[in-house]
Amino acid sequence: MNQATPTESRLEIAGVLVVLQASLSLTAGLSAIPFGIVEPGFRVLSVVTIVVAVMMFWLARNLRRGRRWAWGGLVTLEVLSLTITVLLTLLPIGTIRGPVPVLVNLVIPWAVLVLLALGSRRSAGPRLGPADL
Amino acid sequence: MYDIAADHGPALSAAIVLLAFGLVFLRLLRFLAGRQAGWAVRFLEGFDAASPMAKLAAALMLVSGAIHLALVPGHDGITGILFIVDGLGFIALALGVFVTTWWRRPAAIWLSATIVAYLVWVIAGWEAPDQVGIACKLIELVALGLVMRLKNATHAAWPRRLGRVTALPLLISLTTLGIWIGGLVHPDALHAHAGAVLQPVASVATPEERAAAARLLADTKASLTRYQDPAAAVAAGYKPGPVSDADPLLHFQNQANARAVLDPIRPQALVYARTPAGLKLVGAMYQMPRVGQWGPDPGGPLTQWHQHEGICFSPLGFEFSFETPFWTCPVGSGSITTPPMLHVWIIDNGTSGPFAAELDKAVRRELTGRSSP
Repeated sequence: MNQATPTESRLEIAGVLVVLQASLSLTAGLSAIPFGIVEPGFRVLSVVTIVVAVMMFWLARNLRRGRRWAWGGLVTLEVLSLTITVLLTLLPIGTIRGPVPVLVNLVIPWAVLVLLALGSRRSAGPRLGPADL
Repeated sequence: MYDIAADHGPALSAAIVLLAFGLVFLRLLRFLAGRQAGWAVRFLEGFDAASPMAKLAAALMLVSGAIHLALVPGHDGITGILFIVDGLGFIALALGVFVTTWWRRPAAIWLSATIVAYLVWVIAGWEAPDQVGIACKLIELVALGLVMRLKNATHAAWPRRLGRVTALPLLISLTTLGIWIGGLVHPDALHAHAGAVLQPVASVATPEERAAAARLLADTKASLTRYQDPAAAVAAGYKPGPVSDADPLLHFQNQANARAVLDPIRPQALVYARTPAGLKLVGAMYQMPRVGQWGPDPGGPLTQWHQHEGICFSPLGFEFSFETPFWTCPVGSGSITTPPMLHVWIIDNGTSGPFAAELDKAVRRELTGRSSP
């Protein structure tokens, strides 16, 4: 049906989810640009967000190529993202309200972490097929 | 920003129930396969041979199918019919993952068509974007990403590879943009200016409500006379908020009044306009203690509270932008929702009236020489 082993498949799923996260970050960064016209801080934040999004695309690509550092970079990013979300959720500011923020800010980062952990545990190192992202 | 439409709530339960049903269905198949039922054996062979990626794609299509079918009762006409077709199509494709070798291309087309159709419906105003719809698109986008990765195009030429790399991010960006356009072009009755959700109230004020609203305005005006000078406000415990280039209004807040509820003697904030001649007191802002806790509205529709949702707040410079429909903010900012608030404008607020969520644009321009935001 398809050629990927379960381990490769898990890392492929993680890669797809990271591409989704990167795309969502990219749109968040691009959408903040108009606010930068009157709010100088958002000029910086939008550029930083776009850079982070591009970095995530690059990490996803290298994860599929079996690079350990990409795996490590993504674990760091996801842990950071989850930690910040959990901290914000503890504040009474209504950060998580409804299924969409739960999926985007909690379920997907958590799923990526689990997939990365499983992908690491079941193989000596993520050795994937050709990098055809 | 985006709520859950009343008739969409059951769809989430249906998706969870269908997944649970799927697990029971698998156990039943294993039982039947143990009794040598040919079709059950074939299905299970396909299921066991499938990678986790294919199984996840099937599960996500199954979830999307269940959501579409559960939404049929709340949608009449062509939308309802399309939901039936879409839901059944997704379920058939999810099963097809394990019994066919040609399911990927139809699945990719079906998923893409569903997402594009949703955008058309939302932009045309035939469907209001809500969290169930957006969550469903998110699920379909993940499924599409998985289906695209399952396609083996290792030796494809570079234009095709470039297309594969950019297709999913582009579709995600277009989906975000489409939902945004739909929400902005066709806001529902409870959305005032962008990011503000209004308290649900009756459409017409009774004579008693009119009198109560007039009393609240008079009491607030009387109470605020002592704060015309910002120094008096500071002496009374009000602290000026951060000055933003984007906002010509300046709020002075008093934390000691945080627990007061619509008390003209103790408003939570005073609103000053930054005019060329200095700060001018233009109104008070009453605020409830908690998010989602609507305050008393003695004037009915005249004194309608509002809360700001879907705001990306950056403590670096105290600035604001809007969240995307997928609830994402730029790095360094976080999503916030304010507790409900009610403004009482003590100056003539033009056509917007004394309890409007915002200072009237013409009045703002006249006072400050600026019209934004």
